[in-house]
Amino acid sequence: MSKLTIKNLIKSFPSMDRPAVNNVNLDIESGELVAFLGPSGCGKTTILKMITGLFQPDSGDIILDEQSLLKIPTEKRGVVMVFQNYLLFPYMNVNENVGFALKMKGVDKNIIDQKVKEMLELVKLPDIGLRKPKQLSGGQQQRVALARALISNPRILLLDEPLSNLDAHLRDEMRDLIVTIQQKLKVTTIFVTHDQEEAVLLADKIALIFDGELQNFTSPKNYYEKPKNIKAAKFFGGVNFINAKKDNHNLSTNIGTVHYKGENYTDLNEDNIITIRPENIKLSKNNDFNDNSFKGLIKSVIFSGTHTRYKIIVNDLELECSLQSVGLQDIKTDDTIYVHLPSNKIWAMNE
Amino acid sequence: MGGERLKIILSLTPPLLIIFTLFFGGIFYGFLQSLGYQPAIGKYEINFSAYYNVMFSERYAKLFWTGLGLNLWVSFASTFLAAVFALFGALAIRKTFFAKTICNFIYSLNLPMPHLVVAVGIIFVFSQSGLLARFASQIGLIGSPGDFPVLVKDKYGLGIILAYIWKEAAFFFIILMSVLQSLGENFEELAQSLGANRWQRFRYVILPLVMPNLFSASIIVFAFSFGAYEVPALLGVIYPQMLPVMAFEFFLNPDLNARSEGMALSIIIAIIVMILVVFYFWLTQAKIRKD
Repeated sequence: MSKLTIKNLIKSFPSMDRPAVNNVNLDIESGELVAFLGPSGCGKTTILKMITGLFQPDSGDIILDEQSLLKIPTEKRGVVMVFQNYLLFPYMNVNENVGFALKMKGVDKNIIDQKVKEMLELVKLPDIGLRKPKQLSGGQQQRVALARALISNPRILLLDEPLSNLDAHLRDEMRDLIVTIQQKLKVTTIFVTHDQEEAVLLADKIALIFDGELQNFTSPKNYYEKPKNIKAAKFFGGVNFINAKKDNHNLSTNIGTVHYKGENYTDLNEDNIITIRPENIKLSKNNDFNDNSFKGLIKSVIFSGTHTRYKIIVNDLELECSLQSVGLQDIKTDDTIYVHLPSNKIWAMNE
Repeated sequence: MGGERLKIILSLTPPLLIIFTLFFGGIFYGFLQSLGYQPAIGKYEINFSAYYNVMFSERYAKLFWTGLGLNLWVSFASTFLAAVFALFGALAIRKTFFAKTICNFIYSLNLPMPHLVVAVGIIFVFSQSGLLARFASQIGLIGSPGDFPVLVKDKYGLGIILAYIWKEAAFFFIILMSVLQSLGENFEELAQSLGANRWQRFRYVILPLVMPNLFSASIIVFAFSFGAYEVPALLGVIYPQMLPVMAFEFFLNPDLNARSEGMALSIIIAIIVMILVVFYFWLTQAKIRKD
């Protein structure tokens, strides 16, 4: 069991005018696969390095299984990090690289050999033990780095941008391997990425970080359907945002009154923003919808293979809609259209 | 293609001519003299008797072999210790801290300093009439400056070793700093997260990573200190004497017959240094191929 709690974590660097990590709080359950997602320089790797002990926080605490890690040196935390550029020791062969952690613990050589063999089989590279790192492809190096990290049964596994140096094909393969191994070993895993697709495909939960601040920590599905704020919604591809005021269990907007079914209605302030994903908007030439239907004008139509994207002007507000190309009605630029915003697909956030 | 080659050959000819005339010409003439060929004093016979005399004759053998031993000891000890000091210095100040630039400057200050100046500095500081001896005497650590241990002009070459450490540590330092800066600290951080303590990170990570560059630099420093004259001449004793000093004394001997022995000694030094240089080039080429 390795439950990780991050409490009020703050870290500043003299060269920065704002904290690199600002009051981050997180609870990561044992065995969870969590993504730290955010743009470059937002503080993701800094948090990772504080968990390993390579950076000391200015304040706050990092608690692993109810024990603070702050006083424990990096080498004794049982928190292993896989770096973005793999960092295989160039003067060691694969066997020696993978067995490094056990050698540092003074484990018997025969046991190390056996464990190295098991780890290389786990990452599906059983026959490359005698090769030097420069004789391996990027994908193989990444797997060896993973095997090296896993051999000592870490309490927490940290992966810094694990897929960013791989090409598209290898990325898919590696992504599957990480998920398979993580589910098999049940090791609590945190990985850093700036790629929201990667985070969604891999993670049980995503911690979205901007400018050192945690924006939201929830499941990938919630980021699409129930984002906490406009930043989070935009990061996950949200494009439709409408100012809305609370109005007797409905929301009053400048395209008209919107009927709202979201469970957070009572938590909303007076001024809010509603969002709806482009793929959840429906279009019709005739007004076929009972509620949340607004008349608009098609501004542009962009065919992109499986989907077609429409930009629609509704009462001076631009909305974007994405529909499956198969079986579409014939909708052209400058057509008048009815836009339907299904009430169960709309999500309102405090402004 | 042929024209291009001719152009390269023609453009390289002037510098090559100078190098061949001055370097190989000098070596060749010196080699001839070491074989006894000295037309100025009517000696035209060519033989290896000067080499035999220097290495095996009753008169010079002891001087030569103790001199060679001292040469090897001084070169090895000074190279090793300079490398060790530079390595720990570079490790200590490579991280950014407020005095890094000053430390960097102080450590590198010796590099442009002539060996002669460093040797004089060693006399001023470490001799029995030097600053340290006077200071130790003033604060009562020793009775008089004469009680200070003999560190300069001693039979173990300690003064020479000190001078070389002082001078060559700067050279090692510059090389090590550039290697360490280019490596960054990621390898060590990784090793730390894999459970390596401070000593293990040094032993299994830093040392193997810097060793190729450290070894190449060591060969250069060893070869230099093996063949250099001025520091042993200033800081050495009459017996045992390092080979370059011995060679120069043969050369200065008013008896011109001794010049062959001096040249034989110089050629022996040159051969040992050349072997080291060839080994260095082989090593660097092997490293390039490996990379």
